[in-house]
Amino acid sequence: MAFGLSSIPKRIHKTFANLRTGIVLLILVVIASALGTFVLQRPVTDADKLAQAYSPNTLRWLDRLTLTNVFHAWWFLTLLGLVSLSILLVSIDRFPNAWRFYARPYRKTDSHFRGALPHKVELPIKNAEDGLNAAERALKKLGWPAERVAYKNEPSLYSERHRFSVMAVYIVHASLFLIFAGGIIDGTFGYSGFLALHKGQTDNVIELRSGGKKHLPFAVKCYAAGQENYADGSPKKWWSKLAVVQNGKEVRSKEIVVNDPLVYRGLRFYQSSYWLDNRTVDSLQIAWLAKDGKETPLQLQMNQPVALGSDATVSLVDYIPDAFVRDGQVFKKSDDIENLAFGLEVKDRATAEVTKVWLFPAQGAVLGGENLNYQFKNPSSALDIAWVAVTGLEVSHEPGQWLVWAGVLLMSAGLGVAFYMVHMRLWIVAIPNAKGKLVLWVGGQANKNRDRFEQKFNDVVEGIRTELESTSPTQQSARKEQPELTLAGAK
Amino acid sequence: MATRARVVRMEPPAATGGNALLVLVGLSVIFLLIVALLGVAKSGGSLISESNFLYVALIFYAGAGALYMGFGVTGTPLYVRYASVSTSIGLVANTLAVAHRWYLSGRPPFASIYEMLLSFVWAVAAMTLIAEKKFGVKIIGSITMPLAVVCVILMQLLPSEVRPLVPALQSTWLHVHVTLAMLSYATCALSCALAMMFLIKDDFRTETFLAWTSAMVSAIYVAIVATRFERWGGLSVTGWDAKNKADIFLGRGMRLFVTVPDLGWLFVIAALAAIVPLLLYFAGRARKNESFYATANKAVFISILLQLVVVAAFVLRVRDAAYPSPDQDGLFPTSLAASPFLLGGMVTGIFASLLYLMLLWRRTDLEGLLPSADTLDRVTYKTICIAFPLLTGMIAAGAYWANRTWGSYWSWDPKETWAAITWLVYAGYLHMRITRGWRGRRAAYFAILGFGIVIFTFLGVTYLLPGLHAYA
Repeated sequence: MAFGLSSIPKRIHKTFANLRTGIVLLILVVIASALGTFVLQRPVTDADKLAQAYSPNTLRWLDRLTLTNVFHAWWFLTLLGLVSLSILLVSIDRFPNAWRFYARPYRKTDSHFRGALPHKVELPIKNAEDGLNAAERALKKLGWPAERVAYKNEPSLYSERHRFSVMAVYIVHASLFLIFAGGIIDGTFGYSGFLALHKGQTDNVIELRSGGKKHLPFAVKCYAAGQENYADGSPKKWWSKLAVVQNGKEVRSKEIVVNDPLVYRGLRFYQSSYWLDNRTVDSLQIAWLAKDGKETPLQLQMNQPVALGSDATVSLVDYIPDAFVRDGQVFKKSDDIENLAFGLEVKDRATAEVTKVWLFPAQGAVLGGENLNYQFKNPSSALDIAWVAVTGLEVSHEPGQWLVWAGVLLMSAGLGVAFYMVHMRLWIVAIPNAKGKLVLWVGGQANKNRDRFEQKFNDVVEGIRTELESTSPTQQSARKEQPELTLAGAK
Repeated sequence: MATRARVVRMEPPAATGGNALLVLVGLSVIFLLIVALLGVAKSGGSLISESNFLYVALIFYAGAGALYMGFGVTGTPLYVRYASVSTSIGLVANTLAVAHRWYLSGRPPFASIYEMLLSFVWAVAAMTLIAEKKFGVKIIGSITMPLAVVCVILMQLLPSEVRPLVPALQSTWLHVHVTLAMLSYATCALSCALAMMFLIKDDFRTETFLAWTSAMVSAIYVAIVATRFERWGGLSVTGWDAKNKADIFLGRGMRLFVTVPDLGWLFVIAALAAIVPLLLYFAGRARKNESFYATANKAVFISILLQLVVVAAFVLRVRDAAYPSPDQDGLFPTSLAASPFLLGGMVTGIFASLLYLMLLWRRTDLEGLLPSADTLDRVTYKTICIAFPLLTGMIAAGAYWANRTWGSYWSWDPKETWAAITWLVYAGYLHMRITRGWRGRRAAYFAILGFGIVIFTFLGVTYLLPGLHAYA
């Protein structure tokens, strides 16, 4: 190909492995995400809400442009993939240099390097060895490590701290990869769904949020569920007593609440909601009146006969949330609680005759059973009717989440290192200065926060000065002989 | 470097003497405190209460704001010092309010928009004092104190009952997540204020400040007119059910609106008045004629007066009155509590315009009180270096908490998505600065844009976009 020296793969690499591409991709991600928040999204919005918000034509166009499901659209995922690719390639490009810098510290100085450093000071000394020893003592006192370097017969000291901070940027970007990897794993292998359990029910089939059902290798049983309210009636707590049943045996049990799920074999069961199923009744509290007017309370459970006086039994056999009566027959109108009806069967012990009695609490009416010796009284309030509790559990399986948390922790560490660990270096060489006198040249450099480093550098110089003066009296006379040359450079 | 053409400016009022405003503000503060005290004594309520502490905090924050404005008018540096004192006293009162609410409810104030604003205002005041002491930027308060006052005004209109926590909020992670959120938002606010101070010191032209300020104020009023102007000349506001302290709903998610007659025209006038300086600015640029800017400044002054009139009219007419509704027959009540953000937006517009006037009249004095532009640039960067890890922590804590409550650490909920966008914007700032060496102006614009996105994430998402994050 006559496109010049770079091959196609190299050019692709160059296009992605630079900051400008990365920024452009990120801007596109931002715009796409913003669109995904302004347009109602299908996975989390009811279909009728969408129909309410948009005209059919608009909705058709939005759907066609995948704007109603941005975050799962192929182009959005591709964008995220390209962002990851860009970060990866840039890191690969720059990492070798950073590693070289990290692995092989620049311990030696030459005159060119010395001239270029921003912070430098020359302290006159009499004797190289004494000077370096004093500097070493000063460094140790201030907490700096000191390393002797022998190079070209120029003995010197090298001291640095926090070299690791040059790796910080790579740690932060690597952590992004962990997070993305976790997200991708969860997107591919993870699933979430819903499981509703009536009190006493065991089930192992969950309804997946993406549609369809999934059979779990174990079952979950709900022993009980309930709701506690605050004084003003608002919900305080939803709880469920759950147990995990495997091969017919109970292997785990836990009472869960919101914010405290049941975890078993990588699956998590969250307390999501609670309601009463108005299609079935757990128990009913009524009363029956004897001929002499004595009232006896009666607690009935569905299909469980209870003795009625000495010669009959009664059981609750029917429950209709919304009933209507026609020609003496009771029919169901709907599942909404509008006109409750309870069907009782009274069985005479002697004749085995069965009489059907219907109670209508809304009207306080009773249908049937006029010939019986017993009269039934309707439940006096809704509290006498116990509907079956149903607990709503969100189920989720997120195998990739551990990578995500690992990435988050790594990123925190990386950011901490990036912002707060400063790589500082000091070089101390005993050399003749421009005029030929022997001086202790002290230079320093930091990769960030330069004004704080200037303070630290000055502390080190002061410390060395003190050490030089305290150890050799000749040093003091040397100071009087020639004034110090201080070359403090710009920041 | 643009020539520092000193625009022919409106003559600022003559300096009324060094201590006059100080005495005036001091007396007003004492007067308001006494009136509040008498009010408490008369109603027989308890002196030690959260709303009293908050009111005291409001008085002192407003006092600080007034002193900064006074500095804007007279240029007396003494006012700035006393403004800082006033801010400190306000912060003490604010802390007492937070403590009292914490004591009453048994948990830190994090569970409703009222409580979040309470924490946010506290954090902003604390950040102001830190910036003044540590970074030596003594007039940062001129931007942050009006922000605090607007938030406290908003709070007065939002439902403030201590409600017990709904089950989803009963977790320690609430405290971690919201603390990080408030600290990071307040730090972002600080970085925005510092970036604006940088622009002042960096010889950003006064007329460009004029353009941006008028653009912002125009946007506020045009948005209000576009969404609420009702034929023929009324303004539509939400109805308010005073008994239940909630909006009146017609059906699920559909609020009842009432039309306040003739108020719409006032808003149109205010919008036009706000656009005029902007148009004059563009005319001045096109014709390269500086005298347009002088007229524009006069227009700003008129615009402020009109905005004050509109706010007064709004408050007087909307406060506890009944109006007809286009949705249903009859008169329906409304109240200021039904329109907290309308009022908040208008007050923000007034404050922004006043700050511009302060800049116009006292720019040289302001610059004298600021450290060098380079220092401000570096301090903005350092502030964002603090805000960014806090933002990261907030998102991470939120994700972990969501995982425990809803079984999913990321569900592209609008609030989550905008928090991620905010994170990306500040990450962009850091990248541009560290890798590309962006300094100075471009970095400052980025910092100001970042805070705009923070405000949208904090308040815009909650009130303009629906989602799971309905608590705050």
